[in-house]
Parts: sequence; C-alpha cells; structure tokens
Amino acid sequence: MIAAFVYELRRIRSVRATWIVSGLYLASVIAFGALPLYLGSHEAGSPFIQNWKGLYNTPANFFSVVLLSVIAAQSFGHEYRYGTIRLTLSEFPKRERILVAKTSILAIYVVLMHLLAWSALGLVGKFAPTGAIISNAEGFTFSGGAPADLWKVLVYGLAYCLIAFSVSAITRNLALGIVIPLVFASVLEGLIMGINGLVHQRLNWLVDILPISNGQAWLSGSKDLPHAGLIFSVWVIGLFLITTVMFSRRDA
Amino acid sequence: MRIDVHNLDKRFKSTHAVNDLSFAVEPGRVTGFLGPNGSGKSTTMRLMLGLDTGSGATLYDGKPLTDHDPITKTIGAHLDAKFFHPKRTARAHLKMLAAESRVGNKRIDEVLELVGLESVARKRPGGFSLGMAQRLGLAGAILAEPQVLMLDEPANGLDPQSIQWLRDFLKSYASLGRSVFVSSHLLNEMQLLADDLVVIARGKLIAAETMPEFLARSQGSSVRIRTPQLTALQDALRAEGINVEASGATGLVAMNTTTDHVGNLAFRAGVQLSELTAHTASLEDVFLQLTEGQQDYQIGGTSTESDSVASIEGGAL
Repeated sequence: MIAAFVYELRRIRSVRATWIVSGLYLASVIAFGALPLYLGSHEAGSPFIQNWKGLYNTPANFFSVVLLSVIAAQSFGHEYRYGTIRLTLSEFPKRERILVAKTSILAIYVVLMHLLAWSALGLVGKFAPTGAIISNAEGFTFSGGAPADLWKVLVYGLAYCLIAFSVSAITRNLALGIVIPLVFASVLEGLIMGINGLVHQRLNWLVDILPISNGQAWLSGSKDLPHAGLIFSVWVIGLFLITTVMFSRRDA
Repeated sequence: MRIDVHNLDKRFKSTHAVNDLSFAVEPGRVTGFLGPNGSGKSTTMRLMLGLDTGSGATLYDGKPLTDHDPITKTIGAHLDAKFFHPKRTARAHLKMLAAESRVGNKRIDEVLELVGLESVARKRPGGFSLGMAQRLGLAGAILAEPQVLMLDEPANGLDPQSIQWLRDFLKSYASLGRSVFVSSHLLNEMQLLADDLVVIARGKLIAAETMPEFLARSQGSSVRIRTPQLTALQDALRAEGINVEASGATGLVAMNTTTDHVGNLAFRAGVQLSELTAHTASLEDVFLQLTEGQQDYQIGGTSTESDSVASIEGGAL
C-alpha cells in the first residue's frame, strides 16, 4: 500500500502542471483575499468590511476552487490521456490500492493547499490597511453568504475536488473532469433556477437537488435549500461510489 | 518463471477478440507472439496482465499475478511506446515506476545507460522519436529485473543497430532462466529471436510450438539449380521422381529435395552445375500459409491479385 502512495506522490510531483496550478491557486486566493481589503470601501455600513473569518473563507471562492479541481481531475485524467493507467495498473493489479492512494494523496494535497492559503491570507490580513478588517464586522465572502467555519471551507473544497476527480475517472477525460462541474456551477444550475422562476416554481424538486447550489448553500448556511448538506454529500459520495465500481470493473 | 494461459476469452460487443486461448510460455526461452493485425495479440497481453476483464486465467508459476509481491519483480510489461506523460522527464518517469519495486537511483541510471538514454535522462519525452520512446518503455519494463518480460511490438521504430541490440539483449535475458514473451510484425527478426512461437488469428490459437516445429509445417523446401545442361539434369531428376520446374533459361527448381541429393544425381549424370542453393521455408512463408484468409483487415479488401493489378492499371486508385 505504501508503494502505491509513493507512486502517486511521485506521479503528481513530477509534472510541471501540478506546480503551476498550485502557484496559480495560491496567487488567486491571495488576490481575492486582498481585493476587498484594498479596493473595497471601509466606511461604516460598507459590505466590504472584512473580518478574519471572512478573509479565511477566501479559498472557497469559485475561481480558486476550480483551479484546485484541475489537480483533482488530473489524478485520473492524465493517466487516461497519456495511457499511463496501463503502466500503473500493471504495477498495481489490485486496483483498490490505486484508488485509495489517489484519493488519499488528493485529500492531503487539498488540506496542504488550504493550510498554505490560510497562512498566506494571514500575512495579507496582517499588512492590510487600517480599518479593512474589523473583528466584529459581518465579514465579506464572494458567494454572498455569511462566512463559514474553516472546517466547512476545507470540506467544501475537498468535496468539489472529489466531484472533479470522480467525473474525470468516470469519463476518462481530463477536460470533462474540470468542465462538467464548472458548467454545472456557473451556467446550468443558474439556468435551471431561472427557468424555475419562469414556470412558477414547478421545478422546485429539481432545484432542491442541484449539486453545487446545495454545496454553496451548505457552506454559507443558507436556509433556501433544506437538507443542503445532505444532498451535496449524496452527490459527492454517489459519484465516488460510481467511480469505485467503474474503476474496479472496466478495462484499463 | 513459467506462464500458463488457460482459456482466455474476451468479447467486444459482436467481436470475439480472444477465443478460448490456451498456451504456455516457458522459462529460459524467448516466445514470439504472432498474428495478423486485429488478431487479438494486444488484447491477449492485456488479459494476461489483468488490465482487461474477460474469462480464463493466467498463472505465473502456478499463481495469479495478484498473488506475487512485488509484482514488478515478477513481470515487466511494455505495451505501447507512447505510454508516458510528455512533460515528465525520462528519469522521473522511471523513478515513478520504481516505487513498487523500491529500486534506487543507481539502478535507474544503469537502465537508462543500458537503453542508451542517459544523455536525455532529464529531458521531457514528448519530443522523443518512436525509437527513443520504445527504449524508454523497455527501460521501464526491465527496471526491477523481472522474471517475465512481456513486450508488445518493441522493435517498431528502432533502427537496425537497435534491433540487433534488442535481439541480443532479449536472448541474454532469457538465457538467465527468465521468460520473454514478445509480439512483433517483423517476421524475419522474430525468426532470429524466438525459440518458441504462439500464433493466433481472429483470436484463436493457430500454433504453439518451437520454431523448428513451426517451420517444419512448410509445404516443402526446394533447391534452386543453374546448369548449362538443363535437359540432361531435368531428365535425371525426373527419373528419380523429383518434381522439377523451369526457372529462366538455365535454371531449375527441384521440389521437396536437398542439395546433397541433387548434387549426387548431377555427378552421376555427368552434369556440370553453376549454382546449387537450398531454399528452406522462412517464418514468413509458413506464417502467411497458416494465416491466409484469416486477416480481419486485408489490404485491398477481398479482391484477388489480378483484380488489384487491373484496378491500378485502370487508374482505380
């Protein structure tokens, strides 16, 4: 099992894309964290007055999460794209080992990137202009809701990455692993909500089970979607189970 | 290590890619794996490695591959020259593959030197030629010095010197008691390399035997003769019941006989010989005889030779 971990670790470390995307992710978190501090109005009543919790919620902004999901999609996407999955499975015919190794390394990577992001945001906050961060302010988030607990930010990032990871494994396609969750989050779910408004909420049943909307509702503590956390976790776990079955049984 | 393949079977929708295939690969020998395009060679190899799902079993010294640990000390496979990330350096690629067998940097450098890639070890293989990519794939397969080497078309894209090197390497690898199972379309090369042959067509086993046994399946060897006394020799050969065909103005081809026999007859008949050459069947001859009409993808479709010529002459191409 250790060998499978080492294999996966060497696999992701040895391609330049991992380092470039990780760098872009950190840069995006720093930029989005600094944005309300430096460009927002700090007068009383301004929605841009930040608190520390809000600042540490920055990794949950959509752009940064999508960047993180690129690495998740690469776990299987690169392997199928370049045929190395056949080398991998020749070395590890017990496929569950590779699945466990890939999932674990991804989880470690996501945790590590969040820790780095929070450290960087700590520095950003430390050097922020006076009055930009007020401890008892409501706090600002890019999703519009109230700042979430940090464990929720981490779990949301990990869950979104697991969706990208699963989609790329199911479709055996790197691009689809990135694009399908992205299109759901940025276009499709909004479109369905818009259509639901036009048809007098007749599609409420569909809106209630949309994956990313439920994830964001759970993160921000919104009451609009009941059982948001449950539905989001069903999506994440369901896709992962499909991945497990398909990866174990399909031809490499 | 002996490999026993039992009743491998695989279907892709309506195509029966591998049809109840059973054979053995003996240790200490190079076993060639032959078949026309689309005959199921690569699928068979993937089934043997557990990469594809199908029925049947492949046992390595009596055990399934998953019961061997570490796997890379048991089998090294090279299935495609392009199985690498184009941006991962050749050395990093091998370092990744070394994780399971826990071989160190020294062995990685050794293998890179062995396949002649030490000068490009830190380069990205995206720009490698097919020959260089084949060498990198081979390096990955032999990294942990496995008991079995399984190679799918490893000579594709190699220059003649590299092909000779590969042949010598595989022979010496097998001479250490290891098994080498290799597929190739280069039949002349296979004749020089393989001790045993497994031949399939349309997923079915055609032959699994030693190279001499396979060559003995030929429909006969012949002797090519040139002589200024054509009629006298023709009469002498026919008197002995030897079938003779004319070949040019001064040539004959005597069927199913040997040079010794023809030489003796010519001496006794007082006939002068200018040339006496044995023509034994090549692997290519026997392979083509055995697999005739068994190709799924024939050049020129099912048309006859004369049809094809007529089409070309008529400008149909």
